[in-house]
Amino acid sequence: MPRTDAGHRTTAHTADLTVQAWAPTRERCVAHAVTGVVESVVGTGPPPATTTVERDLEGATDADLLAAVIDEVVYLLETRGLLPAATEVLATPTGLRARFSMVDADALEPVGAVPKAVSLHRLRCERGPEGWWCTVTIDV
Amino acid sequence: MRITEETPYRFRVEREGGMRVPGIVFASRRLLPDPAVDESLRQVANVATLPGIVAASYAMPDIHWGYGFPIGGVAATDVDEAGVVSPGGVGFDISCGVRLLAADLDREALEPRLGAVMDALGHSVPRGMRRGSVWPMPDARRLRDVLEGGACHAVDMGHGVQRDLVRCEDGGRMADADPGRISPRAVERGLGQVGSLGSGNHFLEVQAVEEVYDARAARVYGLRPRQVCVMIHTGSRGLGHQVCSDQVRVMERAMERYGISVPDRQLACAPVESREGRAYLGAMAAATNFARVNRQLLGEAARRAFATHAGCGLDLVYDVSHNLAMVETHVVDGRRRRLCVHRKGATRAWPPGHPDLPADLADVGQPTLIPGTMGTASYVLAGVPDGRAFHSTCHGAGRVMSRHEAVRRVRGEALRHDLEEHGIAVRGTSWKGLAEEAPSAYKDVADVVDASVGAGLCRRVARLVPLGVVKG
Repeated sequence: MPRTDAGHRTTAHTADLTVQAWAPTRERCVAHAVTGVVESVVGTGPPPATTTVERDLEGATDADLLAAVIDEVVYLLETRGLLPAATEVLATPTGLRARFSMVDADALEPVGAVPKAVSLHRLRCERGPEGWWCTVTIDV
Repeated sequence: MRITEETPYRFRVEREGGMRVPGIVFASRRLLPDPAVDESLRQVANVATLPGIVAASYAMPDIHWGYGFPIGGVAATDVDEAGVVSPGGVGFDISCGVRLLAADLDREALEPRLGAVMDALGHSVPRGMRRGSVWPMPDARRLRDVLEGGACHAVDMGHGVQRDLVRCEDGGRMADADPGRISPRAVERGLGQVGSLGSGNHFLEVQAVEEVYDARAARVYGLRPRQVCVMIHTGSRGLGHQVCSDQVRVMERAMERYGISVPDRQLACAPVESREGRAYLGAMAAATNFARVNRQLLGEAARRAFATHAGCGLDLVYDVSHNLAMVETHVVDGRRRRLCVHRKGATRAWPPGHPDLPADLADVGQPTLIPGTMGTASYVLAGVPDGRAFHSTCHGAGRVMSRHEAVRRVRGEALRHDLEEHGIAVRGTSWKGLAEEAPSAYKDVADVVDASVGAGLCRRVARLVPLGVVKG
């Protein structure tokens, strides 16, 4: 039976961080994975967004698109000091459009290690009988 | 997977499937990973499938689950027989490593000034999520000088002294760096990070020499009992991570052309002598030079804190990487061969008399620096004649517990209290970050060092204990 719920959780990986997410659609699934990554750094309930950043991202597979979206989060954190308080993901003809509602990371109290890269080890983003499911391991 | 105990410190993963060589894990029974919770032995077997691999897919006693390669993995491929280089065999944090400096000061003399030194370090060492660096780069051209010149460029610009270069691997500058292979995105990430600690397991510690095992080597290295030291553990920051991400994808696309398939995407690779292989090694060398400048600048920040608040200088003992691929010559099966030696969470440990050692270290062998966990101990080891695994040894304690589990079991506030009860000053960034790095999340570093020595990988020189921790 197709799922109607959506969510995310972190699971154990010895050295780093593994995030799993699930949702009825691929786009919501990817957005939930981003939320899982952000919560691992600054916890839940970030302050209201102050700016929006939109990015069109490409990838050969759904898993690569997932990696591209999270790579973008890492890049924007390091180079602009921004973290997404909320993320909306839309399908485009060539991939995904990520719309990040951003907050200034310097104003947030970190609660965990900072993400630095997306590993391709066991990277998956796929549709199953119940809906979409993804798993991604982040180097921290 | 069939594992045979060959000696108390050497286990063999028998060849099966696509493995071209066996796996050899240097560990005690106690340190051998539990396959139920840690997939690193499977990763040892996966690495054994790489084209051109020679002798064995090795693992050090601090082996734990990585991605692609295990952390603690060593693999060498024959450059002249289409052997490959794999960015995953170096890891995201290219040239992550350790720098040890020694003060002309004993721990008793530092004690009344420790708080002031720690406050100064806490203030001057950029770390954690927030941006900031000791040496901000105004533009890509200045960063290019760092990527080409490494620590030599930093010293030329007044950030350090000539002797620092003698005590840094490769004289502080890795040859054949090709900054042209670094993407604009990697450059952008690196501009604001020259002289920054980062987060995760990176740290700067004020330590004291607790025990000397080899007085002659310790004297040559510049260490004596009760002496105050500073240990810095960090790497190439976002720039190195971006280089790895970029190059793994390049190699993944190229593999089909070379007829290569791998059991894990993060093992993507290409022949060392291919366009992609040479491009990676050029970019990796540039990121390595970045890492050395990063540690050089953090060392300079520590020197300023000690000069101001403790009235003493800091001399470099050594700076060594534990995430690197180097083309080296080794004798395998009675033949001298040009090998690309990947060390992912493993440290090169040249033996006494090795021609690449600086003259003053030639008689005693290369120092290898093994950071322990907060509140335990770190070690200075040395290379030995007939060292195994292409003269490699361990790189740290090695995680046994996930960050997730560590946070569930340990409260950062309680950990800090516990450390301070034991006289260890802590300057952290977040409670959860502190809890993730709790000593209980790691193997016992003393067990790791015992196994490394027992397996014939190295010998002990000194043990250092923490007095203060600045946590990334």
